[in-house]
Amino acid sequence: MSSPSIVIIGGGGTGAALLHDLAARGLRATLLERGEFTSGTTGRHHGQLHSGARYAVRDVEIARECMQEVEILQRIAPDSIEMNYGLFLALSDADVEYGRVFAECCGAAGIATRRISTDEALRYEPGVNRDALLAYVVPDGTIDAYRLPMQFLASAKANGGVARRFCEVTGIESQAGTIHSVEFRDHVTGRDERIPADVVVNAAGPWAGDVAALAGVDLPITPAPGTMVAVKKRLCNMVISHLHPPGDGDIIVPQRGIATIGSTQWETDDPDDLQSSEQDIDWLLARADDLVPGFSSQPFHAAWTAARPLAGRSTAGGRSLSRGFSVLSHAADGISGFFSITGGKATVLRAMAEQAADQVCHFLKFDRACATATTPLLSHREFFRRSA
Amino acid sequence: MSTGTGTRELLIRRSDGHMQRFVVHAGKYTSLLDGLEEVRTKHDRGLLYRHSCHHGSCGTCGVQVNGERALACTTFLKDLPQETRVEPLDPFDRLGDLAVNAAELYRDFPRDAGYLRESEANPDTEVPQEITATNRDAFVRFEDCIECGLCVSSCPVTRTFKGPAALAAYGRELEKHPEREEELLPEIDTPDGVWGCDRAFACSRVCPLGVAPARHIAVLQRRIQEHKGTEKNTH
Repeated sequence: MSSPSIVIIGGGGTGAALLHDLAARGLRATLLERGEFTSGTTGRHHGQLHSGARYAVRDVEIARECMQEVEILQRIAPDSIEMNYGLFLALSDADVEYGRVFAECCGAAGIATRRISTDEALRYEPGVNRDALLAYVVPDGTIDAYRLPMQFLASAKANGGVARRFCEVTGIESQAGTIHSVEFRDHVTGRDERIPADVVVNAAGPWAGDVAALAGVDLPITPAPGTMVAVKKRLCNMVISHLHPPGDGDIIVPQRGIATIGSTQWETDDPDDLQSSEQDIDWLLARADDLVPGFSSQPFHAAWTAARPLAGRSTAGGRSLSRGFSVLSHAADGISGFFSITGGKATVLRAMAEQAADQVCHFLKFDRACATATTPLLSHREFFRRSA
Repeated sequence: MSTGTGTRELLIRRSDGHMQRFVVHAGKYTSLLDGLEEVRTKHDRGLLYRHSCHHGSCGTCGVQVNGERALACTTFLKDLPQETRVEPLDPFDRLGDLAVNAAELYRDFPRDAGYLRESEANPDTEVPQEITATNRDAFVRFEDCIECGLCVSSCPVTRTFKGPAALAAYGRELEKHPEREEELLPEIDTPDGVWGCDRAFACSRVCPLGVAPARHIAVLQRRIQEHKGTEKNTH
């Protein structure tokens, strides 16, 4: 195989980071996205760059991975991050108690936390709840959910990676147990096309189950949508979280001139059904007032819903499913050269891509190490300025 | 022409030029983008429009709504007339239906312009030691300009012109980095640069983020004149 052909299905953050990783290793890859880039889950995510503190008590490994990626993204894409840190606020005695475990688990995950008084918290963020009992400072931040992936795509393009939008995959063919080609419709030209493929990576997030089904593979995925609500005022600079086990409506993320409360969570079979309910929106606005009083009286800006791509199948509340990710080979399902990425979240997009690219290289017996942790990304604008 | 919740009839300009009618749900918080999503997921999977963040940050979903340029995600159906025309942003190249190619927008942006600025929120607040330890003394945030192209689409100038988005980016970059004056000012001291502006102010009126490109252009014009004055005096 002199110049193998790799097809990535899905132009969200993971697919974008994977195209960059493969292109940087010198491999020829084409990414197909059915809509605009990042129009599925990536662009709509809350925008939080997770230090991992939120996950540390339940899963120290995921937390550690988040922290490592926060440090890496700060180095390779500083312009796509508002790195203003975060505050976890204790609002009850139980929260204070939880704080001890929280700090210990964050420490175990390599996340630097600092316990501060409410007075000190108010000096940083005068708008937070004055009845808070104490707070922790953690290295959280805000991501530009569109421009960070576009930085990956711009960098991929500079190395020969091909990213095509409005191209919806309609078929995945295998021959004698090996992946063979991908069929898709280019909605811009209206033409059906086929590209030969030695490797196909399914990076379709909550749609990964639908994509795998095109190849006749059953992939356990639970699309878990959640709603977010933004008001027209930047009420804080730091990410404000409730210090308690992760739940609904317990994070406020500032970004540009707005502040966003999120999120809710439910499960669905259809990740295209992403309507925000009035009930959820009103409930979230009320929850936001617990953290930053007066949030709900600011002018309404927008409400939207994104589907998380949780790995596995659950019947009892998506918060029980892990936020971890896996790269699965479908050789065991009878198709070698076909891989799916399941689970994960925006903060670890680069790490997901690295693991997937490592598996692809291993499959192709192509020996080239990942360089994405140390290579600064191009500006998002370069994607549009460079001709293909 | 009633407004309020219920349903709306969207007349969408399709690739072949005809206007196609779709009826969509209009709740208390339903955006025009939600309406387009309803059309795509329930009626026509091939409907082309750009979208990503759904909250006015990515800048991809600009369209013309009854002839006015707006972001579909922060335009609410309850505020629109019963029958609403949705068309692509001109004069950008059209990919199909409502989707345009934004490449032209970025053509004349200043090279290496940063995308972060100091935050204006909660002025005079203390910054945690974690931040000062990284050689920063202030909270930061992204630039206001989301590169949506509404200003470029609204600008009445038809001559070759770098346009309000790129010139505003020059203005912002020079506000943050006055030391780049020698390098950047000559690039826009041209007939297609700041002198191409007709002062119609359409850009400033349409900007959903309040960037005020026309003000940036006026400031840059003054700055160029002052710069030349200083040069004359020193020679």
